[in-house]
Amino acid sequence: MDGAGGAGRMKLHTDMTVNRITDEVWEIPVSAKEGMQVPARIYATETILAGMDSGVFEQVTNVACLPGIQRYALCMPDGHWGYGFPIGGVAAFDSQEGVISPGGVGYDINCGMRLIRTDLTLSDVQPCIQALMTELFRKVPAGVGSKGFVRLDRREFEQVMRKGARWCVEHGYGWNGDLERIEERGCIPGADPSKVSDHAVERGISQLGTLGSGNHYLEVQVAANDRIFDPKTAAALGITGHDQIVVMVHCGSRGFGHQVASDYLKVFEKAMRRYGIVVKDQQLACAPFRSPEGQDYFAAMNCAANSAFANRQVITHQIREAFRTVFGRSAEELGMEIVYDVAHNIAKVERYAEGELVVHRKGSTRAFGPGRPELPDRYRETGQPVICGGSMETGSYLLVGTEQAMRETFGSTMHGSGRTMSRAQAKRSVRGEQLKQQMEKRGIVVKAVSMSGLAEEAGFAYKNISDVVETVDRAGITKKVAELRPIGNIKG
Amino acid sequence: MSGEFRFLEDVALADAAFEASGDSPSELFKAAAQAVIETMVNPHTVSPTWQRVIEHQAPEIATLLFDWLSDIVYLKDAHGVVFREATAVVSEDRPHGGWKLRGTLTGEPIDPARHELRADVKAVTKHLYDVRHDEGREGGRWTARVVLDV
Repeated sequence: MDGAGGAGRMKLHTDMTVNRITDEVWEIPVSAKEGMQVPARIYATETILAGMDSGVFEQVTNVACLPGIQRYALCMPDGHWGYGFPIGGVAAFDSQEGVISPGGVGYDINCGMRLIRTDLTLSDVQPCIQALMTELFRKVPAGVGSKGFVRLDRREFEQVMRKGARWCVEHGYGWNGDLERIEERGCIPGADPSKVSDHAVERGISQLGTLGSGNHYLEVQVAANDRIFDPKTAAALGITGHDQIVVMVHCGSRGFGHQVASDYLKVFEKAMRRYGIVVKDQQLACAPFRSPEGQDYFAAMNCAANSAFANRQVITHQIREAFRTVFGRSAEELGMEIVYDVAHNIAKVERYAEGELVVHRKGSTRAFGPGRPELPDRYRETGQPVICGGSMETGSYLLVGTEQAMRETFGSTMHGSGRTMSRAQAKRSVRGEQLKQQMEKRGIVVKAVSMSGLAEEAGFAYKNISDVVETVDRAGITKKVAELRPIGNIKG
Repeated sequence: MSGEFRFLEDVALADAAFEASGDSPSELFKAAAQAVIETMVNPHTVSPTWQRVIEHQAPEIATLLFDWLSDIVYLKDAHGVVFREATAVVSEDRPHGGWKLRGTLTGEPIDPARHELRADVKAVTKHLYDVRHDEGREGGRWTARVVLDV
């Protein structure tokens, strides 16, 4: 069923009413489910909406029922089923009357993307791409339970939790100029290590500088002239085209963040009974943001978020070292500056017309428009760089935030392409070795710890990222700047 | 029929889900642990050089199983090991009410050169989490459905 001006005869994986607001924005009214406080809005083309699994509709409307939610429960075009909140979800709660939910952040706290530019071109790198990927694979540990080279005791790890990427720069794993090119300058205030369990510390203390597995990766990519959509903005972001080489990293807070999330889901299950909160899914466990439990989680989550910024910073250091080894020139000489680093699994306190809000982004990216004071001077005019990773076979995108995103989506947009096929089905469709050979024939060198893990991440298991990017571009909540094509990929 | 597990394909698009079962809680716990182990590594490539005994009590069997499986994920990162197999003895905790577990995990420190590594499990989740006892002849069958975040 759908309402007037709705999804018409489109076949959707839901019986709920879905009304068309524009060609890229769809709304599920509060009448669709008992308890909805606000409507749900999904950013998608007709085709993407029709392909969305039933979990998206169920979960985004469950989120719309949570106490203190403001304006809309949102889902981006890369949305798919997640735990409690859908992946691609955005929800903002009043900081006084609303809740905070670990399910709205995800297990991998501050999973995010980082893009590093270089002055190298494809012709510089192509002759030694095998050597470069081998050196990167050696320097950036990946896969199940991998350990990094940074040795920390608990006291020092607590400094990582408090200082994030700043700790890395202070210890020689980065440049002073790196920090302004990271969301929150790589250090979110309010991190309190006393709110973190021993189990979380034990899981994370030896993992700084590691990629992990699943859909995490390190990729060497090319920015070709014909894939730059906005040359002026691209240049301001350090992307000059002419087959320029860039490096993209996708990873998060590793076992440390996973344990913080697991610990607080348990705490919140009990807290909900105390505060009389009833949710439609156990994974939506939440507590009032101003409650002791809510504040404890926020302080622990910020520890994990800062450790994720530090993780990507140590990986950046290792990437620069690998390039120095292979090309015999310093990273400074190679122009290896960070373009930007964005979190796509996080809850943050931000100010909007409604006042101070706790904005949850789970598989969605902050996309602040031009002029926001949070942005560094260099990006104040362009808007915030947004980095969206595609599947390892296709490509990734660099975009910028817009003022429209500030008005419509709490300054948020998509984060990647979004899975459409189960891991098991992907493995049945292709063997890891076979996929590796196919990719190498197409000019993408692959280094993988797990061949089954590689098969699970095949390009056909994901939505076409270009369709997803076109949607947010046409909707106006981010503007595409450049497409980046992979030539080398490291997977856990 | 003894303990067994099978991976469920249509439950978690981006993650790993399984159903484990056994004629007793002990068999269920062993089978479920093996499913978590095999999500992370091919256990035939792992030698039993490391061992850990785990004991837990919980008021409900579902909580006990959740804690047991979560320990496997924790030990993988905290001790840097992958596992070969698990044993579990689960019984009613008569003095306190509820259930208790004495389990063992064997494995060895991770060596990517020898171990056929699979997915790095982040967490055991409560999504669609279910433990049930189907009454029947000879004590019935214990079954659990578990979704792992990978």
